[in-house]
Amino acid sequence: MILNLTDLSDEPLQSQIARQIRAMILNGDLPADTDLPSIRTLAREQHVSVITVQRAYEHLIQEGLIHSRRGKGFFVSELEDEKKKEMAKRRLYENLERPVLAAKAEGLSVREIHHTVDVIVENGKSAG
Amino acid sequence: MSKAFEFHDVVKTYPGFQLGPLNFDLEPGTVLGYIGPNGSGKTTTMHCLTGLVKCNGGEMKVFGRKNSPHHPEWKLDIGYVGDIHVFYERWTGERNLKFLSQFYPNWSHTRAEELAKRFELPLNKRAKDLSGGNRVKLSLVSALAHSPKLLLLDEPTSGLDPVVRSEVLDTLFEVLEDGDRAIFYSTHILSDISRLADELAFLNDGQILLRTAKDDLTDRWRKISFRLAKDDVAVESVVYHHSDGKDHQVISSDFKDTLNRLKALGAENIQENRMTIDEIAVQIMKGVKNGTTA
Repeated sequence: MILNLTDLSDEPLQSQIARQIRAMILNGDLPADTDLPSIRTLAREQHVSVITVQRAYEHLIQEGLIHSRRGKGFFVSELEDEKKKEMAKRRLYENLERPVLAAKAEGLSVREIHHTVDVIVENGKSAG
Repeated sequence: MSKAFEFHDVVKTYPGFQLGPLNFDLEPGTVLGYIGPNGSGKTTTMHCLTGLVKCNGGEMKVFGRKNSPHHPEWKLDIGYVGDIHVFYERWTGERNLKFLSQFYPNWSHTRAEELAKRFELPLNKRAKDLSGGNRVKLSLVSALAHSPKLLLLDEPTSGLDPVVRSEVLDTLFEVLEDGDRAIFYSTHILSDISRLADELAFLNDGQILLRTAKDDLTDRWRKISFRLAKDDVAVESVVYHHSDGKDHQVISSDFKDTLNRLKALGAENIQENRMTIDEIAVQIMKGVKNGTTA
């Protein structure tokens, strides 16, 4: 498994690990039943502490993305489309919370913020 | 399973300095970073645990075995890299290692050779002709060749160039993949330990100020700025406060608590930012004594 972790980010390492594995699961790179590296193996490979990986995995377990089988390690769970959508929404919220509140503090109205989102979607379309 | 090590009421005094009483332990399979300025007692703690100095009081155990001068078996589980590297100076590295090997039933010559090769350490040179960096490497090889369950590292990467430093850290990450091993790593350079450590203990003037999971520290601490007409922001989780008119900046050791309190006080335009482990350490060393303990 190749993860791309950095110390120069605002995002803590455990969140970076969880986010990148989550993305691989949601976009199908890691299909259901794939086995994940053991906590200690991933810690060695990525040069992070065992607790950091452990917490990233616990987070993914809580989200229902992976599960552990006793003595066998961690596996990707089966996911319904509805559930994937729900997660995407939650992540969108988490990612937008800070910039939206900052925009409000800088004096933009809710209508103007909505409009900006429309523009982003529109630009994304034309970019392909 | 027994703890990798335990300290019970351990005290060591020197004229004008007291370490302890120390009460702490380490679970197998974890890495504890021991952070403190020079002179805070890090090395003395290590020396107590290895039996290099005699403590004034208290008891220590390594993997359940009492640290006692009459029963030196507890030392077999320890690999130690100290602040000074003691060798027979006129002997080659190889001969020094061979000499040490007789004290450790678990010693592996193959492992010693592998490590030396990896660190590009010439074993045929006399110890006195080795550079500072190579002396550290020879110490590391001799500490790791018997595959100890507890590694005590006292500023092990000081004097090493960045490439060798990263090789040393690679080796330590490998050592940890075998789940029972524990590492007790003292340093004042946090960047070395910031990824490796599971937990951190902050030592100042012979006392442990705070012991906590590293990730809890970075999760909880924040730099927060806000606007508030009042000048008095008496919130317990705030460890530093600076204000300029209505604009305030605080450092919080528990940002959720601080945010709730600030909202209740009517603060506006609240912005919070994460802090690096170095920034947090500086604040702790400045004298936080009421933090969370693990």
